This record gives sequence, C-alpha cells and structure tokens, in this order.
Amino acid sequence: MSATAFLDPAALMRIKSLELRAKVVVEGLWKGMHRSPYHGFSVEFSEYRAYVQGDDPRYIDWKVLARSDRTYIKKFEDETNLRCQLVIDHSKSMTFGSLGYTKADYAATLAATLASFLMKQGDAAGLTTFAEGIEEHLPPRNRPGHLRRIIAELERPAKAAGTSLALSVGQLADLLRKRGMICLITDLLAPVEHLEKQLALLSAMGHDLVLFHLMDRAEIDFSFEKSAHFRDAETGAERFIDPQLVRENYLKRLQAHRDTIQMAADRHNVEYHFCPTDQPLEEVLFNFLSARQRKKASKSAAARVAL
Amino acid sequence: MSWLFPIYLAGAAAIIAPILLHLRRRPPQDRVEFSTLMFLDASTPVPVSKRRLENWLLLLLRCLALILLALMFARPFLQSESAASSSADQATLILLDRSASMRRDDLWKRGLAEAERLFKAAKITDRIALAVFDRELTQVWSFEEDRNTSANRSAALQSRLAALAPTWSGTQLDRALIAAVPSFDASTAKLKKRIHLITDLQEGTHLDALRTIAWPAELTLHVHRLDPVTNDNFAVALAARDEEGSADALIRVRLSNTRDSALRDFTLAWEKGPQADSIAAQIPAGASRILTAPPNSTNATTLTLTGDKYDFDNRLFIAPPQPRAVRIHFLGDEATRDEAAAPLYYLARALQPTATLAPVLTAGKAIPAQKPDVLVISGSTPSAGTHAALRDFVSAGGFLVEVASSSADAALLQTLTGTSGITVKDGDANEDYRMLADVKTEHPLLKPFGDPKLRDFTKLRFWKHRQIEVKDAGNKLETLANFDNGQPAILSARIGKGTLIVMASGWNPGDSQLALSTKFVPLLYGWLAAAGFSHDPAATLLVGEDLPLDAASGHTITEPEGKTHSLKAGETFTATQIGLYKVQSASHTKTVAVNLPPDEGRVLPMAPQKLAEYGIKLSSGADSAGASETSDERLTASDTEQKQQSWWYVLLILLGVLLLETWVAGRGGSFKWSAQSSVRGAEET
Repeated sequence: MSATAFLDPAALMRIKSLELRAKVVVEGLWKGMHRSPYHGFSVEFSEYRAYVQGDDPRYIDWKVLARSDRTYIKKFEDETNLRCQLVIDHSKSMTFGSLGYTKADYAATLAATLASFLMKQGDAAGLTTFAEGIEEHLPPRNRPGHLRRIIAELERPAKAAGTSLALSVGQLADLLRKRGMICLITDLLAPVEHLEKQLALLSAMGHDLVLFHLMDRAEIDFSFEKSAHFRDAETGAERFIDPQLVRENYLKRLQAHRDTIQMAADRHNVEYHFCPTDQPLEEVLFNFLSARQRKKASKSAAARVAL
Repeated sequence: MSWLFPIYLAGAAAIIAPILLHLRRRPPQDRVEFSTLMFLDASTPVPVSKRRLENWLLLLLRCLALILLALMFARPFLQSESAASSSADQATLILLDRSASMRRDDLWKRGLAEAERLFKAAKITDRIALAVFDRELTQVWSFEEDRNTSANRSAALQSRLAALAPTWSGTQLDRALIAAVPSFDASTAKLKKRIHLITDLQEGTHLDALRTIAWPAELTLHVHRLDPVTNDNFAVALAARDEEGSADALIRVRLSNTRDSALRDFTLAWEKGPQADSIAAQIPAGASRILTAPPNSTNATTLTLTGDKYDFDNRLFIAPPQPRAVRIHFLGDEATRDEAAAPLYYLARALQPTATLAPVLTAGKAIPAQKPDVLVISGSTPSAGTHAALRDFVSAGGFLVEVASSSADAALLQTLTGTSGITVKDGDANEDYRMLADVKTEHPLLKPFGDPKLRDFTKLRFWKHRQIEVKDAGNKLETLANFDNGQPAILSARIGKGTLIVMASGWNPGDSQLALSTKFVPLLYGWLAAAGFSHDPAATLLVGEDLPLDAASGHTITEPEGKTHSLKAGETFTATQIGLYKVQSASHTKTVAVNLPPDEGRVLPMAPQKLAEYGIKLSSGADSAGASETSDERLTASDTEQKQQSWWYVLLILLGVLLLETWVAGRGGSFKWSAQSSVRGAEET
C-alpha cells in the first residue's frame, strides 16, 4: 500500500468536524482491511478454545490443527476487555504547525481515529489530556456516547503553556489502576531524562505503552531561510536566530533527542511511532496495527511454545 | 526662476534623511513563532546584508517630495515677468493717521517721516497721492495734482505735510479706506495700485464699515504700524450724568486701563481743584471702572486723570449748569406779591429757579421797556390803551397768559385774536364747584400731563369761573380743557409768532384750588418749555459731532482756543477740538462740552492681519515702519509671486508625488506579503 493511496492530511484537516475526520480515516482503513494480509488486529492474545460450529473459520489456528489434528480458535483478550487510554499532550508547543494545521490538530485527529477504531471493534477507550499536569481524564469505557465525549474533549483548545511530561505521566500512573494500553501522543519537546523513569514505572505496572511522537515538518528539517527572532511557544522566550548558521547544530541535537527517546522506548518495551504531521493518518494507524500484529505474533508464538 | 524666500531652499537638504534611512542596514524585525528553542543556539543579529532593491523608487519619490516641499516654501516665480512688472509704474496713496492717539510720543513726527520717505522713494513716473484721516479722509495731495506737477511734488508735499497736525478726532479707518478707494481715478488705471497706511492701528479704530464693501482685487494695502514706547494708558470717558444737571448732580465717569498695562495708580481730580477733593486709587490692567467724580467745589469744568504717560485722553470736559434766564412780567400790582389771596403771591412762589431755567418775575401795571419773555395778566383787566401794545407783544413772539376776570376782558381778547365773536360773562356762582374735563393732554402746552399717572384732575376744583364764548373764530382759538359743564376752561391761540393762553378761572384761592394743587407748577413750566425756554442739560458731545444749534437763528461760536466763528441761520458747525464751546445766539449763550471719542483711548495696537479679515488685500511685508529698502524689493517680488502663484502648482505636483509614493509603498507591502505567502506555499508542497 503506497503512501499516495492514503488521504492527504492537509485535505483531511480541512474537514471541520473531528468526528467526521476520524470516521473518514477509520472507514477507509476498515474497507481496505479485507484485502489486507493482516486481517487479525486484536491486541492481546488470551487463550485457545475448542472450535464450535458458527465460529469464524478465519480464527482457527491452522498450525495447531496440523500439529494436533484439533481445531482450536484463538481467543483474544481485547475482544472482551482491552482498555486503551489515549494520552494527549495539550501544551502550547503542540499549537505549532507549518502546514496549515497544527500538531494539536493532528494529535486530536489521531486520537479520535484511534478511539473510534477501537470502540468500533468493541474496545474501551479513555482520554487523558495533559500539559503541565493532567488536565482532563476520561476513564476507558465502551458505551454509546462515550466516543462523543472523547471527541468533545479533544476539540477543546490547549490552555497551558509548558509541558511537564514526566509529572503528567507520573500522575497518570496513579490514575490507571487496571492494566491496559496507553497511547501517548505528544511532541516530546521536553527533556526526556525524567520521562524514562515514569515510562519504566508504567511498563512495570503491566501497561502496554505506545508512544506517538508527533513532529512538524518544519521542526524536522528546520527549513527556515530568513534570520528572525524566534519565539518559544511554551516559555515565550525570544532568541535571534540565523537558521543557516544553526541548522546543522539543530538537526544534530534533534537526532540525538530522538535517539534518546528511541533507546528509552526500546529499553522499556514501549512501542515507539515517529509521526511527522504530514504523514497520512491511515498510514500511522496501519503502522500501529502492523506493529500490534507483529507483537501479537510473537506473543502467540510464545503461547504455542507453552501449548 | 527666482525665489521669494530662497532660505527655504536649504530645506531641500532634508533629503539626506530618507537617503540615510534607506541606506541604514537594520537588523530584521521579523518574529517567528516556533515550538521550542531547546535545540537552538542564539546567533548574533547580523544585519541584512543586501539592500532591498525595490526601494529605490520609493527613495526617489520621497526625495522628490521633500525637494518639492522646499520649493513650495521658497515660493518660486519667474524673474523676467517680475522685472517687467517691477519696472511698471505705481500709483501709491499714502494714508496718514492724524487721530488724537497720534499725539502720543513722537508718533506724528515718525508718521510724517515715513510718509516723506515713501514719496521721496517714488519714481518720477509713479503717481503719488497723500491723504490724512481721522474720522474722515482729507485729501492733501491728489493723483490729479501729482499728474500736473509731479516735478516739484516733493517740495509741495513737504510744505503741505508741515501744515498738518494731529486732530482730536477718533480713528475711523473703515470710512477712510472706503473713501480712499475711489481716489484712484482713471489716470491710475494701468498702474499698480497700492495704499500705504501709516497709523498706530489702535484697538479703538473703527473697521466695521469695511464689511460693506468689496475690496478691489488689484489694490493692495501696506500697513506701516507706528508703535509708541509703551502702550500703557489710562483713559477717562463720561459714563452718565444725572438728568437734573444741577451743580451738585452726580457725574459718573468710566476709567479704563489697557491690557497688560504696568500702570495701576491714578488720580482723578477737577482741574485746579483742592487736593482734598481728588480721588487717588488703583485700577488693574485691562479693567474698566465706573467712578463718581469727586465733589466739584470750585465749579471747575475739567476732570483730569493723572498717572499715565499720555495725556491726550486724560481730560474730561463737563459743561457747567447753565440755567436760562426767563423774564416774566406780571401785569398787575407789585404790592400784592405778599398777599396770600393775590395771584402774584402764588406765581412768585411757583417760579423758582431750576438747573435749566432761571425765571425772573417782575410786576408792574405797565409793560416794561425791555420786553419780557412772558407776560401774565390775572386779577385785573388792562386798560383799553394797552390792548394794541399787548397784541404787538404777542405777535412779535411773546407769550401771554391772560386770566379772564370780568366781562371787560372780552375786548382785550377780541383785539388780541382779531375776532369779534368772543364774549366773557361771569359764570354762575350759585353752583358748588366745577372740575376740569376733556383735558387735551396730548397738546404741547400740556405736555407735563402726558404721563397717565399725572392726569388726575379730580382734586382740582374751581369755585368761580368766567363763561367765555367763542363764535366765528374758526381755528384760531383752541380749547385745551373744558369745565365739566362743557364751558371752555383753558384756551390757546397762536398769534403771529407768539402764543396766547386764556384761562376762564384764576389760580388764586378766590377762583380755584389750582395754585394749591400739584398741577400748578408743572403747568407753568410746561408753558415755559413750550415757549422755547427749556434748556436741555448740557449733552456731552464728542469731537466730530455737530453742535446743537437753533436752525432759526444765527450763532457766534467760540472755540476752546478762543477762535470765533459767525454762523448764519441754518448753518451747522462741527466740533473739532476738545474743550468747552461757547454758543452764542441772539437770545442767550450756552456752553457745550466736547470730549474725545472714548474709543480713541483704546490704544493697544492691532495686528495688521486683522484688516485681512475684512477682505483687504494686504501686501505680505506688513510690518512696523522703518523697514529697509530690501523689504521694498521683496514687496515687488512678493507681488509678482502673488500674481503668479506658482507655489500652487508645486503643491499640486507634491500631492501627486505623495499619492504615488503611498501607492508604491502600499504595492511594495502587498508584494512582500505575496512573496511570503508563496514561500509558505513552497513549504507546504
């Protein structure tokens, strides 16, 4: 599936309604999935059970059948009770965007898409927004109207200025008592040293952590030409900068930052997705699902070993 | 191309400012919102190295605008034309102020010198006229004379000027200028016309009439204002005087001080009066006060104000009370003057001297040799021999009051009026009393009763009266009042130049209550006033007003300086000096006080531009006298420039350039914006 087959995010963002945006993305993906090789998308493998008539033959574990001549159906825990908490960064730096829409718009659309997707397949989704601390918290649920609440919450503009990723994640650990999946959608424009500790905590609590790292194209390439006073969206500090002089250094530091995050994610078994905001949302979702699939595959392999 | 004010051309140097501003390498002022500075190092602001290329057009336009501005202020004009016009002859009218305020300091001398300088500077082909003005314009040297004898103009003008002196009149510049405009006759039609006004241009100058005319466009006025050493001045003017006009009547004067004056203390005193009677007080600058004049114990006629430098407006002349003598002769027995029942008793007591009239009452059986003004007959009937003399007396202008006392009076009345239909009978004494009815209060002889408040005659009772019957008299006899039984009470007739009054009842208590009533004295004085023996309290005249003269008779007028003029009947005389004029007519002499017009005391100078408000075309170099020759040159240049008005075109071009500059600058802005948006578009793709 080539990237051009997906919806251009700029075109998508022109749709005013967040709900509609999510619907467009999810339905496009849903329809495309029938021809997709990855037709299992459940998140957490639970157990095998004996096949009874009426079960979807797609979920028969053929390898087990071949090995033991018994028909087993793979049962996935998330079919019943996957709890996904979407955690959105609402800091001021998210309001930056060079493409006609901001990272916050992109994050909201991504979150809405995920929520809509998950709830469509019967999972519970919750939402947490944070900036300097937790701002809003909706626990995961799968009830009629809950998606609308999530979307309404997502449509609220960012209030706070700074980001305190570590503090917010720490607070989140207190709020989420049950195990589940946590999708952290942020631009990660904050020092990552403390973050690692909190990620480790969440990971240790048994949460399945997914990190969507959003970045604008202008942030990635630093494609400014003219010298100007650059203003920090979060702190308001101004600095005179000649882009040509500082670009190289910037890119180097950014790469180092990203590497640090990547390493931290790997260390703590966090699923890391780097999402430039010009990347089509379907692609992000597709990558996410692929990754889940791979993870599930590895998990089911482990289960088979156990059988 | 020449310049009226070349100094302004230096202003063109201001184009350096935009050039420098365009050359200045300024650090970029752009601000970019970015998500974080955590990966960014600060860099030193480096000036934008390249100059914006599109700005040269703006720079050019801005420089051009500044140069045009400088050009406009320098007031360009074409020299060739100016040379032609400056060589053209001029018609110049020199107007010299000779009002009383020119008496200050050496203003008059300086005015003369200025006039002399002006006519000496004129070319022989120029036309010069000279006029002086105060309340009106007086030609001293006309254009006509100048055309005929322009060669010896200088000497002639000098001698005429030497004969002039400032007058005591107020300044009526409006009338002078209006009169001056037509003095430019046909011979000056092709010349450049100009009026040189030499004046102190004081605040009290009258200008209002200038609004009534349209000032000729080709005529310019050049003001040479003469400023005295100081403008601090007190002025005094008569504010009010009690109507009675008696010697001790209050006189109120208005004192004023000029604005911003340093003077405060003044003394107001009668001339040659005792020190104790003077008023010494203070008046603040710019204030005006009404004061009661100090007591006039010495019967002085001049109030003098001291305390300021200029005394031309410090004297106030007040005519002394001048009661007019009226000789009244009672045709009867002198011995009855002190008999309470006799008519003379009451007449003598009623005729008391007033401020305006001084009645002299004589009594005797015969008409005195020197004819009296008024003759009164009461209680007796003159003998038939005197009838003719009495008729002559009345017809020569005398005033005769005849109280009919018996039927014998009918003969006298018949002789006096010339009608035989008059009979006099004793009225019926049986009746109780009679009152007056049908009083013709509108008649001049009963003028004192014109006021409705005074028309109550009900308390006036007549015990005894004579019945006067008039037949076939035509309009000769007029009934002024009737008794309530319809019989005439008071009759009057014009006989020749004189007046006859016939009363049917006397005023003595035997006849009526008239002498004891409040109506008697007003009635008598009303008759005197109607007979022309009134004397208005000396009205204060101002210099330039006509003396009040009786048109019917000739007069001899003595001016304050002692010069006398004999006037025939009907001639008028205008007061030209301040002081007391003595007006002598055949019958009496009166003194009239003539004072300075109060406006003349307002000596603060006005700005010459004030005249421009009245539509007068002032030449631009209107300033104080003593301007140098170059100012004259400038004057011709300014005239040329005014004629060409080329700065208007420069202004129009300037406005055009500024519009273009705005448009170019606006376009540059929009260009910049579109460039930015295209950059953003590139980023998006």
